[in-house]
This record gives sequence, C-alpha cells and structure tokens, in this order.
Amino acid sequence: MMHTLDNFLFTYQSLIYALGVNSLLALSMYVVLAVGQLSLGQAAFMGVGAYSSALLTLKFGVPFPVALVVAAAAPSLLAFVIGAPTLRLSGVYLAIATIGLGEVLRIFFLNWDYAGGALGLNGIPELAGFIWIFGALTIALAGFVAICRSRVGRAMEAIRADEAAAGVMGVNLPAYKLGALVVSAAIAGVAGAFNAHVSSFIGPNEYGFDAAVTILSFALLGGIGSPFGPVIGALVLTALPEALRPLHDYRLVINGLIIVCVVIYLPGGLLPWRISRIGARK
Amino acid sequence: MIARRQFNLLTAAAFGALSFAAPGLAADPVTIGAVEILTGPNNKYGLAIKNGFDLALEEVNKAGGVLGAPLSIAYEDTAGNKDQAINAVRNLIGTKNVPLILGPTLSNEMFAAGPVANQRKIPIVGTSTTANGITAIGPYVFRTSLPEADVVPVTLKTARDKLGVKKVAVMYGNDDAFTKSGYDVMKAALEKLGIETVATETFGGKDTDFSAQLTKIKALNPDAIVVSALVEAGSGILLAKKALGFPAKVRVIGGNGLNAPKIGEIAGDAADGTIVGSPWFIGKPDPANQRFVTTYKAKYGADPDQFAAQAYDTLFIVADAIKAAGAADPEKIKDALGKVKRTGVLGSFAFTADRDPADTTGVVVIEMKDGRFGLLP
Repeated sequence: MMHTLDNFLFTYQSLIYALGVNSLLALSMYVVLAVGQLSLGQAAFMGVGAYSSALLTLKFGVPFPVALVVAAAAPSLLAFVIGAPTLRLSGVYLAIATIGLGEVLRIFFLNWDYAGGALGLNGIPELAGFIWIFGALTIALAGFVAICRSRVGRAMEAIRADEAAAGVMGVNLPAYKLGALVVSAAIAGVAGAFNAHVSSFIGPNEYGFDAAVTILSFALLGGIGSPFGPVIGALVLTALPEALRPLHDYRLVINGLIIVCVVIYLPGGLLPWRISRIGARK
Repeated sequence: MIARRQFNLLTAAAFGALSFAAPGLAADPVTIGAVEILTGPNNKYGLAIKNGFDLALEEVNKAGGVLGAPLSIAYEDTAGNKDQAINAVRNLIGTKNVPLILGPTLSNEMFAAGPVANQRKIPIVGTSTTANGITAIGPYVFRTSLPEADVVPVTLKTARDKLGVKKVAVMYGNDDAFTKSGYDVMKAALEKLGIETVATETFGGKDTDFSAQLTKIKALNPDAIVVSALVEAGSGILLAKKALGFPAKVRVIGGNGLNAPKIGEIAGDAADGTIVGSPWFIGKPDPANQRFVTTYKAKYGADPDQFAAQAYDTLFIVADAIKAAGAADPEKIKDALGKVKRTGVLGSFAFTADRDPADTTGVVVIEMKDGRFGLLP
C-alpha cells in the first residue's frame, strides 16, 4: 500500500506541482481581468520571476525564500513602469504594451549569455515543493476571497461593470488598475519561481506569447466571477491532457473538443457565480 | 546461470512447439518505455523514431526476444512539451515499472525529463538529443546520437582538405538552442582547423530576408558560407544567396539542421553544392544499411531518415544490453549498456565512459545535387 502510494505520488508529482503553479498564474490573470483590463504580459512576468530566482539560487546560492521575494518584487517593478503610463489610457493599450514587453523580454533572455542565452538555464536546484506551492495558492485564494467581500472588491467589480460610472462614484481608477497589475505581476513572478525550482530547466521561449494566451485561457475557461473560477479553469486545462493519456493519438483532439464545447455551451465559464457578500441584497 | 539459460531455452522450445502456428514467445514480455513527440508540430521526428523502434523490435522478437520473452515498448507522447515529457517519464517509471526508457525526442525535453529518470536510477537513452551537456545530467543518461560536436568537425575538415576551403563566413540563428549550440561547435572547429572566419552574422529562426547579411558577406569574398539553421531559414539563405549572384563555387556548409532532403525541395537548384555531415545516409552501400532501407520502405511505404536509422540501431543496442544484463533490472542494464559493442546501419558503435557514442567513423559528408543528397565524391 505504501509502495503503491509512493509510485502514485512519483508518477503524478510534476502534474500536481503544475496544477498549483498554473492555478497561481490563473489567479494573477484574474486580478487584471477583475478590473476590466487585459494583460498579455503574465507569461513575461512569470519569466522574470523564474529567471531572477533561478539565477539567484543557481549562481549565488541564495536561500529560496529570499529568491522568492525577489521573484515577486522584480516583475512588480516592471509592471509599475509599464502600467503607470498605459493604464491612464482607456482601451486596449495595456494589452498591446504587455505583448511588447513579452517580446522584448524574450529577445533579452535569448541574447543574455550569462543566463544561458538560447540554451536556457539547466540544473536549477529542486527547492520548491508541495508545501510551498499549495501554501502560496491557499494564501492567495483566501486573500482574494477576503478582498471580494470588502470595499475594494466592490470597487473592482464596479470598474469592471462600468468604468465611467465607477469613476464618478469616486473610485480612484488609475490606482485600482495599477494596483491590480502590480499584484498580478507579483503572483505571476512567484509562480515562475516555483516552476523553475521544480522542473530544473527553463528556457527563453517558454515565456512567449503562446504561454500568455494559455494563461488567459485558464481564466476564461473557468470564468472570472470569483477567484475560484480561474483556479478551476487552470486545474481542468492542466489535468485534461494527462487524464486523456490513455487515448493516445486522439488525446489532443478530444482535449480541444472539450474546450470548444465548454466555450460554446458555458460562455460564462465553468464557475460563473460571484462570491456572496455579507449584507448584499439579492 | 547455465541452468537458467537451459531452462529458458527449454521453455521457449516447448512453447514454440506448442504454438508453432502463431510464432512468438509465450512468456510475459519485457516492457521498456519510450517517450517521443507523437502529436503536434514536431511529430515527424517522433514518428520516424517510433517507426525505427518498431521495425527493430519486430526483428529482435523474430530472433527470440530477450531473456526468453518478447520485448515490447510502451510509448508515451510528449507533444514536444517539456512538462509533458516529465509526466510521461514519471508515468512509465511509477506505474509501468519499466527498467529503461528510450527518448525523449528533443534536447530541451531531455534536460527536463533526464534528471527525473536519473534520480530514480532508471537508464534513459536519447536517440536524437544532440545538444551539449545531455549526458552530463547524470550517470543514468545515455545517448546514441552523435552530438554536433562530433559531426561538424568532420564536415569542415573534409571541406578544407577536399574542396580547399580556407576562409569562410558564418551565419547562425541566435534565437534557438539547437542552432546556437551548432554555432558554438562550428566556431570551435573552425579555430581548431585553422580556417579563417571573415564575418559572423546572425538571424532569427522566422526571418525571411537575409539579403543584408549576405550582401556584406559577398563583399568579403569567402570560399564558403558556414550555416547553422533549421530547414526554413536555411532554405531562405540558399535562395537569397543565389538571388545575390554568389559565384557557384561558394558553397554552403551546413550543420545538422540542413541535413534534410526538404532543403532541396524548397530551394531547388539554389541548394546545389550544399554540403553537410551526417551520422547516416540512405545511400550508404553496406548490406546492413541497404537491407534496413528496403525493409523500412516495404513496411512504411516511405524512405527512412536519420532519426529512424538512429532509433533502429538503438533498439538493438538496448536489446543487447538487456540480454547481457541477464535480468530486466535497471542497475544491471545500465552497467551492461556501457559495455555493448555493435555494428549497425550507422557503423560501429560503443559508448564512451561519458555515455556518448565513441565512434565517429560512421560520419559521411553528403552533397546536394539536382535537389537530392548524394555522397560527396
């Protein structure tokens, strides 16, 4: 029995880690979507977190918690620099600026020989584990539930529903949007650090536009009514290709088919409901 | 040991007699794992490898299998994704208890999945992973594909000695692990062979316009252009080179990325004169290779490529190691792999102490002519 459990955990260890990391990424996407903005830079923020923490632990032997703090701080700073000017504009400017950011960073990592250039970094110590990843996920989820039930959560929902009306009601739009982007970058950075420290190899092409779209699809599939939606979306999209492994050659076909069906029949996502609030009418 | 072998022979003979109508071995098969790209954009590599394995597997089992039982392969797909490669390796080790794993297809996948197998002390044998540092992952990581570091120097030395190439220009794709590490190898080999490099130019893997780099190179008048690129960019360079009117004697010398019949299809006569080194060539005249090409064509209705050939040889090497180990035990197989010596379609083979292929005499230099590769005369 012990042996069977051991083998089960060994078999699915990376998958379990990926479920946690992708859930964190989905939450980071959720924060931005929750204020009605679209960021396609989540993969880039993740990459900055992964590279900064991996370089620290690999080349300088810095303790993991310290590397984790840097992995949260570095992308936040970047998000602040990008977000401060673009979030004052309305429309798709943030999406465009963050796509640009992702491309610039990809080229930067490709040509930065100290960080392995196109060859990436390998041999990263396996420092993150179950407790770190799911601890962080629990804290993030609990935090978002608390925020949803607070004044801040209502303000965010108001911005998402009608920006102009929310502004007139006295919600400080730029501050909320920028705050959301910075928090989202920090979460993505932490997720990147976890990913780097469980898979032992990272390369510059892992954090490109494809990855950004995948992260966005977690949130959209799950629904953005509550923070649980994106997490469910990430769990489903991560586990599905593995669960369908017995189908061999047809698994990616069925995988795609399931996603298409969800999008057609559940346009609000898998979990469209909002978090109930104390004292909320209706 | 002797008693056991006799027993195996006896049982095999007995079962053979009982079931001669359906040839095959009755004992439980020895199952090894294989992790390859079977779906997605890069699956042409994985499918060629799988074909090579399956063809060799048929022959191994026709000749009596291993350890008195048939050999079988459990395939897992990676879709070219490093996380799925890790999951596939974990799955094979954790639930199927395989004593050895073949693959993965790409070097990047090996960098991610190799450490998992190594940590569990399961030998993992790459048949197509050519990047530097693969076998440095750990003592359980092997590869049967010659790294570019062994092939490129042979190509360049042949170009110097046979074609009189003394000064070259170098072009490489700097946004891809494969083409970048190919360039590193070329640079070292050029220095070692005393060939002068007059210019080094870079491009991106998705670029379509190479005229700026080539105009600069043309002015420097090199004897040849050394190119580390994948098929698409490589064909673009060949076409641009022709359009800019380079003299015909200025050849392109390619790394493994240009070792693909496809460049002849895309670039047409602009590809003529391109030379590359290859661990294997379909037209190699030795009987073992010709037999492999014929049976492969008969089974799959297409020509084999070098990935299929490498996989074909590797399965025999692995089967030999399992036989020599005397048990489906990872530790014993690992020790036996280091001692295997075999002559296959790629030439003679043995592992070095660092678990890389030891012999580079099988490398041939081939030349593109009229849209097809042929041996360089």
